[in-house]
Amino acid sequence: MINKVLIANRGEIAVRIIRACREMGIETVAVYSEADRDALHTQLADEAICIGPAESTQSYLNMERIISATIISGADAVHPGFGFLSENAQFVRLCEKCNITFIGPTAEVMEKLGNKSVARNTMVEAGVPVIPGSAESIYDVETGAPIADQIGYPVIIKAALGGGGKGMRVAETPEEFASAFQMAQKETQMAFGDNTMYIEHFVQHPRHIEFQILADEHGHVIHLGERDCSIQRNHQKMVEESPSMALSDALRKSMGEAAVKAAKAANYTNAGTIEFLLEKNNNYYFMEMNTRIQVEHPVTEWVTGIDLIKEQIRIADGQELRHTQEEVQITGHAIECRINAENPAKNFRPSPGTITELYMPGGKGVRIDSAIYSGYTVPPYYDSMLAKIIVYARTRSEAIKKMRSVLGEVIIGGIDTNIDYQYEIMNHPDYISGNIDIEFIEKMQG
Amino acid sequence: MELRNRFKKVVNRSKTETVNTEVPTGLLRKCNKCKAAILTEEVKANYYTCPKCGGYFRMHAYRRIEMITEHGSFHCWDMGLTTHNPLEYKGYEEKVKMLQEKTGLDEAVITGSALIGEQKVALAVMDGRFMMASMGEVVGEKITRAIERATTEKLPLIIFCCSGGARMQEGIVSLMQMAKTSAALKRHSDAGQLYISVLTEPTTGGVTASFGMLGDIILAEPKALIGFAGPRVIEQTIGQKLPKGFQRAEYLLEHGFVDAIVERKDMKATLAHILQLHVKQAEENAQNKNVMSETENSDTDSETGDMDTSINSDLTAWERVEKSRRNDRPVAEDYIEAMFPDFMEFHGDRYAKDDTAIIGGVATFHGMPVTVIAQAKGRNTKENIAHNFAMPSPDGYRKALRLMKQAEKFDRPVLCFVDTPGAFCGLEAEERGQGEAIARNIYEMSGLRVPVLSIFIGEGGSGGALAMATADEVWMLENSIYSILSPEGYATILWKDSKRAKEAAKVMKLTAKDLKEAGVVEEIIPEPATYIKETLQEVTDCLDTKITAYLERYANMNKEELVEKRYSRFRGVGKW
Repeated sequence: MINKVLIANRGEIAVRIIRACREMGIETVAVYSEADRDALHTQLADEAICIGPAESTQSYLNMERIISATIISGADAVHPGFGFLSENAQFVRLCEKCNITFIGPTAEVMEKLGNKSVARNTMVEAGVPVIPGSAESIYDVETGAPIADQIGYPVIIKAALGGGGKGMRVAETPEEFASAFQMAQKETQMAFGDNTMYIEHFVQHPRHIEFQILADEHGHVIHLGERDCSIQRNHQKMVEESPSMALSDALRKSMGEAAVKAAKAANYTNAGTIEFLLEKNNNYYFMEMNTRIQVEHPVTEWVTGIDLIKEQIRIADGQELRHTQEEVQITGHAIECRINAENPAKNFRPSPGTITELYMPGGKGVRIDSAIYSGYTVPPYYDSMLAKIIVYARTRSEAIKKMRSVLGEVIIGGIDTNIDYQYEIMNHPDYISGNIDIEFIEKMQG
Repeated sequence: MELRNRFKKVVNRSKTETVNTEVPTGLLRKCNKCKAAILTEEVKANYYTCPKCGGYFRMHAYRRIEMITEHGSFHCWDMGLTTHNPLEYKGYEEKVKMLQEKTGLDEAVITGSALIGEQKVALAVMDGRFMMASMGEVVGEKITRAIERATTEKLPLIIFCCSGGARMQEGIVSLMQMAKTSAALKRHSDAGQLYISVLTEPTTGGVTASFGMLGDIILAEPKALIGFAGPRVIEQTIGQKLPKGFQRAEYLLEHGFVDAIVERKDMKATLAHILQLHVKQAEENAQNKNVMSETENSDTDSETGDMDTSINSDLTAWERVEKSRRNDRPVAEDYIEAMFPDFMEFHGDRYAKDDTAIIGGVATFHGMPVTVIAQAKGRNTKENIAHNFAMPSPDGYRKALRLMKQAEKFDRPVLCFVDTPGAFCGLEAEERGQGEAIARNIYEMSGLRVPVLSIFIGEGGSGGALAMATADEVWMLENSIYSILSPEGYATILWKDSKRAKEAAKVMKLTAKDLKEAGVVEEIIPEPATYIKETLQEVTDCLDTKITAYLERYANMNKEELVEKRYSRFRGVGKW
């Protein structure tokens, strides 16, 4: 039985988890860096423990300190949120050794899915469609080039461990391969301290479609439909929605079943996301599985009525899923816009600083997940997301109108934000008509 | 807006179970240097260094042996020796017994043989858990036996030092171990055998002052404390606070006592490399010489020789002086990178300093170990400052001489690259005996019992150049110079006008062509019209061929004949 949860994260997701725990009668422990002394999550939790200086390596990424804080506070479980240690198998293993319940999958499963080559092989064996790509880890250009030829250009070179767009490069032709590989590998080494690379066929103009999965420890796996996350800049998602206009009921069924198959093949437990690339001809390929809660989880919550954070905690507590696949109904349409402290006119340069004025609108079908308040200082050390605005309506077009209305009302003074940029997206004819793919932002910027 | 204490913290507590989370024993440990809690498994995976601050943990002897030797190759020598307690020191035997039980060691050092790469070595590794690895009669005896056995079995010897010094409980008997081990090392060295000493945190007292500092090659782990008197003793004696970094490995490197600082992760590979550079395989050498003969046969002097003045024959002496000094002219390090890819640099003169104006070390040339010593100009201002513009101090010449003597011991030819405006002119240089250092080099080089070849690649400034050019043969690149003094200095002394340097250059006969005609140099190496790093290969290819031929001529020469020939070479200058 989980009585007390330590939230190993900060920002809106920490707040989101604290609220869910509170509704479940579970005590909460926040951890914070010296830069987050006055952060909302620090103040909101029942207890808060300072775990070190501002730099995340010294605080939110410091496993030893987070474990110590968990033991000292008497928490019996850790929720990792997203980012930071959420997909660090070593951290999960540490929790397991210390008898701390990690709210997420096991270390073993995380390790398997965190390595793209291993994950891919698992999917191939399970019969889930994958993009043609290298079967083994690649460490140099000489080995990579003939494999790229075999796969067929264009190819994309990726970090075997990793995500978030770091360590990725596309080579359109064999001539570009060597330099693309070297650059990707250099980035990979810097970002992940590893130089293992992976090459695959580069699918052109696809949509990013991901399926939300819930799996309990009793062998039940269901999916909660898809999210269309095609609106991305540099592989960072900006707008997400559910359901996707691109999926017919039949395609949704087929992809959903593939997602469930994928989760089962990996022996997955807890909430997870299967990412697919969907081509215009409705071919879809497994991309990767995210072994954590996602930023964009609220859109799924709204169209299914299921609270994903609470489900995560229930599953970690050993309980069975409360819904069967048949009971999951997708109704209406939800859209999420990520509001970041950044300046789109200056190449999206981060804009930390103090928020001098703040007005957040409300109303029917409006949800704002955020950790900012008037007078809050956005620290420069962490990612720049300030808030997620989620709207819900019967139809997509109604939801777009609602989002425009909300974006038009928001006031955040003192720092630069991307609100106007999001407003432009909501007014873009291609977005409105649903004619989108992962190159939307690139095209919009010309 | 202030958030503190504004929110209601209401939870429905329904605690039914007690929490049973705990950190299992051994999962975490603390770094003594940065005080951070760290994961034991990461420490192990990281060669016993702290994943947070990079600090080094002291290592158990057997872990060390596992880390640097081939798996399963280690065989223990001389187990079971126990102290006689010569002072009948109360409680000493009990303490030793207790430590034996606690550590599973019989004393503070483990000795034996093992393979590193393919090379069998004699190995001694000290273990600080045992009375801070202080040296009493057992430690001294085991190390001495290991040295003697290495000498008899003709094995290279490696000692990993880590010690608080002599063992107080054994009094004068401990002190005598310093003499015993050192005397055995003298014999090992006289037998032409290699000894590598590795200094780890901490190496102090009688161990530093005996076998610790007697290695042919002395390596140290980063930041290791190395000294004779401990820092606390010094502070109390002189009543002063010691500077930061005092007695650390880096400090010793700077002061000339350590050849190289080697990170733990690189230790095995470094040892293997050094051992390989010291392999004495008569057969292999013979084979190399055959290859060399073939090369020589296919390449007679008439092809490459005497091309010397064909390219830039119309240059004036002053133009050649300018060329020899150009910033974009290849420097010694460029030649070393191109011609000796396995070059391993050794630092320090073992007296006072590591002079960066001279770099030296060991490499192989077509499989034959050679000692390479070079006066090192920089490729830019920053590098030039770091190398003191290749103007060596006495410490540089003493380092060069140390490496030449080492070459003599291991029967390696010496290849010198000369490129200096002159020996460093300054207060400290005079204080430490610039003149003595140059004289000593000339004196010792004249009798060195291995081949010595000097190649002038740029400037050859006076005694500063001769101290690395008392050689069997001296070769000059086409536009290098060699003179009694810089043309500017010459003009100042003789004509009281340094601006007449151009004129002086002509009078001085300092070009390669002039000097060959004067019989001071044997060979002139042609240069491409534009001589920069990009065109270096034309010159190194030529040098490669010529050096091969040189070694063929000299490497097998009878030692007496070799020394006699060198004597005659200089005796003949100015003879009438």
